[in-house]
Amino acid sequence: MAITDAGVMYGLLAVGAGLATGLAGIGAGVGEQGIGAAVVGVVAEEPGFLGKGLFLMLLPETLIIFGLAVSLILMFAWSPFAALL
Amino acid sequence: MLRPVEMSRVVVAGSKNVMESVVEKLHELNLMHIVNYTGGADYFEQGKTMGKGKEFSENLIKLRSIERYLDIKPKAPDVRFAESEVLSQMDDLLGRLANDVTSTYERITAIEAEIKSKQDQINALRPLAAIDLPIELYSGYETLAVFVGTVESAVDADVAKVAPKSEVFTGSFKNTTVVAVFVPVEKASEVQAVLAEHGFAEISVPKLTGAPDVAIATLEAEIKRLESEKEPLQKKLKDLKKQYEDIILAADEYLSIQTQKTDAPLRFATSDNAFVIDGYVPSADYDKLKSALESTTGGRIHVERLPDSEMEELVEKRGEDIPTKIENPGIVKPYELITRLFAIPEYKEFDPTLLIFVFFPIMFGMILGDVGYGIMIILVLMMLKKKFRTEGWTQLINIVMIASVWSIIFGLIFGEIFGPMGLWGKIFGQLPHEEILALEESGRFFGEGVFGPLGRVGPMGMFPLYRLATNAVLMLIGVSIFIGVLHCGIGSILGVKTELNYGEKKHAYFERLPVLIFQVSFALLLLGLVLGFMPLVYLMGLLVVVAIVMMVMGPEGVMGATHLPFYVSNLISYLRLLAIGLASVGVAFAANKLAFGVIMPMLSGGEHLTMIAYIVGVIVLLVVHFINLLLGILSPFMHPLRLHYVEMFTKFYSQHGGGVEYSPFGHVRRYLKV
Repeated sequence: MAITDAGVMYGLLAVGAGLATGLAGIGAGVGEQGIGAAVVGVVAEEPGFLGKGLFLMLLPETLIIFGLAVSLILMFAWSPFAALL
Repeated sequence: MLRPVEMSRVVVAGSKNVMESVVEKLHELNLMHIVNYTGGADYFEQGKTMGKGKEFSENLIKLRSIERYLDIKPKAPDVRFAESEVLSQMDDLLGRLANDVTSTYERITAIEAEIKSKQDQINALRPLAAIDLPIELYSGYETLAVFVGTVESAVDADVAKVAPKSEVFTGSFKNTTVVAVFVPVEKASEVQAVLAEHGFAEISVPKLTGAPDVAIATLEAEIKRLESEKEPLQKKLKDLKKQYEDIILAADEYLSIQTQKTDAPLRFATSDNAFVIDGYVPSADYDKLKSALESTTGGRIHVERLPDSEMEELVEKRGEDIPTKIENPGIVKPYELITRLFAIPEYKEFDPTLLIFVFFPIMFGMILGDVGYGIMIILVLMMLKKKFRTEGWTQLINIVMIASVWSIIFGLIFGEIFGPMGLWGKIFGQLPHEEILALEESGRFFGEGVFGPLGRVGPMGMFPLYRLATNAVLMLIGVSIFIGVLHCGIGSILGVKTELNYGEKKHAYFERLPVLIFQVSFALLLLGLVLGFMPLVYLMGLLVVVAIVMMVMGPEGVMGATHLPFYVSNLISYLRLLAIGLASVGVAFAANKLAFGVIMPMLSGGEHLTMIAYIVGVIVLLVVHFINLLLGILSPFMHPLRLHYVEMFTKFYSQHGGGVEYSPFGHVRRYLKV
């Protein structure tokens, strides 16, 4: 189906941008859930592990930034998409 | 600053006659990091505890138990004592006070146990009050079995079926049915089976006499009496704590120091007549150590510094760890907390504290970026500083305090005082509408913050920027990524140097260096694409290829190049500097818009602002800004932390496992006068 209306197009871009950040956030959250639980367990036994634990726990957080980067591209650099009309 | 303090491997040897004075002097100097003797050499064995060591450690255990009973914990010292004062009171502390405290504490424990058991008896008796049989009737039969407890449904009929000669008393207590079943002993097991079907839960009847009500009243009276006995005892402990806390902490310190000294020979190598101490000393302090030891022993000691080549050999062959002493100037010192949280650097590695001091506050400031929030945080921290005086808390408070200063600076750049549309426009005035339109048309619109008397500054008059404006977002994306390039780049340079320190040339030039080249050229390539400056794109594209080829030539071979996505994601990760900030600006913006744009006009209805509208608006403002501020301390702290730990440290830090911290033999006196 061809999209001919610029308004519809921009609306779809906005939905896409929202999904990109939102789904990436869910993904990062699911990833951190398991790691976080394990880190709390380790830190309870060995408090000195806190720093390395944080390091591991924060690793999947980059995912959400990827989602955000995609959103920003969709929202602000969308002129190439307009050419599709 | 960037490197740990230089260390020298030192050997101290002498006759056992002078051992005690040497230990005394070493302890006083607080310089030498002793390497424990682990055996293995002929003629030498581990030393033994000196002098009154056993007595000191016994006393220390006794004192620690008093501390536990009185609930005394280490705190910032209020008074300091001379050693003689502590010594003169020691007997009193360990004799009279110890006995007094121990007996009082034991009495309190006994009273608490008794109260607990009486409480249990009351709990058991309460349901029985519903049946109202004298308590002594529940026990003491030879031919009768008695079941007392709660059931879920009526049992009379079923019990009568299996044991016709029986008696069942029923009562109800708080929605449950209480029963007392008396049956002949020979029917006991059958009745028990029947009761189990009805969900029987047994109550153990206390051995008391009389009606349950009366017994409960007596028990309650006794509990009251016991509590009134306990109260003055607790108060006594509290008073004793107040009176003796300082002297006990000082005595604890004195005894700790003494046991440290008397136990020191356990770490030495000793023969029948001589002793040898191995250890590390900061190179700058070697001469001081040598002359101090020689003067106390009248020259009857041998102090020697091993040449560096021998030190290296010890590290490689015997696996000795050279201790790391990280040293930073006062203002940088709080940031050691962040370094330590991750790991202590190895002796040959770099100490990243200085870099954290430079980058962490800037990142924090760039994310929070609000004059109002910055000032609020500083004010709150100043109050907290008086309350939380332990070392860890002070460091944490100082870290955030320095970072908040940057937050104020960035607040000025972003034109935010409690969010955009907040106080900034009220204080500095707004840009005229026509000028905004003109700016938008020319594509130079970076938001409408300020202007009035201050005017706009910077290239193209873009400051203060309005962070929610499209142009500002695009610019900040670029700025964030290039902060990342700089941050990671410094990490990579340190990584190359660290590998060279370990003599790993291949790792340095084909593992660390290509990362630097790749990240810098990749970012510049993106910049070239955005600016449409093609020569830069081609040049940087070439460099990217060179970097990839170098990685493939590296120690890991083709696998080395598989890390590429990680290095790209490193750079993208810095977008959080913009993103987290936008989230916080968004909330602040929403708060202001909600209060000034929606609630106030809506409640006032007409033209003039009514009192109620004003009050409600201000309350909404305060609540939303408060929540935003709390989040605004947490996430600007965690995210730069991550950028350091994940993005920067992986380039150079702790690749060879954590180091051992320099902990010299000695003691820093806190409660004793020096």
